Amino acid sequence: MKVVVKFWSYFRDYTGCEETTIEMNDGTTLADLITSVHEQFPKLAGTEKYTLKAVGVDYQDDDYVLNDGDEVSLFPPVQGG
Amino acid sequence: MKRKLTLTHDPIAESVPQTSEGMGAVVTFHGVVRGTEDGEAITAIDYEANEEMALHQFGLIFDAIEKRWPVESVQLAHRLGLAPAKEASLRVEIIAPHRTEAFEACQFLINEMKDKVPIWKRPQ
Repeated sequence: MKVVVKFWSYFRDYTGCEETTIEMNDGTTLADLITSVHEQFPKLAGTEKYTLKAVGVDYQDDDYVLNDGDEVSLFPPVQGG
Repeated sequence: MKRKLTLTHDPIAESVPQTSEGMGAVVTFHGVVRGTEDGEAITAIDYEANEEMALHQFGLIFDAIEKRWPVESVQLAHRLGLAPAKEASLRVEIIAPHRTEAFEACQFLINEMKDKVPIWKRPQ
């Protein structure tokens, strides 16, 4: 299955792109996906502890099982106001 | 601290939003771009949002407010893109029967926004 991963704020400075498409096996969790993302973009190392994760428009936990076509957003703590 | 105090028989100058009967409190909050960030002078803040998710997350916060307080209306505007120093980056207006729930709901909304709504800033 294919999952689109979007990067926001200064995470884009680390990845050099706004998004990437990653092919994963069925049953892949959000945590598995993030491991793959970090292999592809080593400059993200160290951000794991504070990275916020959403699938579509909702926050999800690491054990969330992804579906084909899901759009995942990864970003640092929010700063509105 | 500057001080200005007026006791007047005339209508108070600031316009009051239209409210239903029974609504006795209008709390308005403006967040303003400071001219410094972490001790450094700045001229503006560039705000970025994941807009679709931000709208959804604000909606969830509004739902929570509606369940918790008897608020008649909530209005919120958040600046995106370049907001110069001294200009408003955020405006919130809450109308409720009494000040306690209006202030509490306003505080809750801003706290939740700062925790959950995907908006980020880059000082310029």
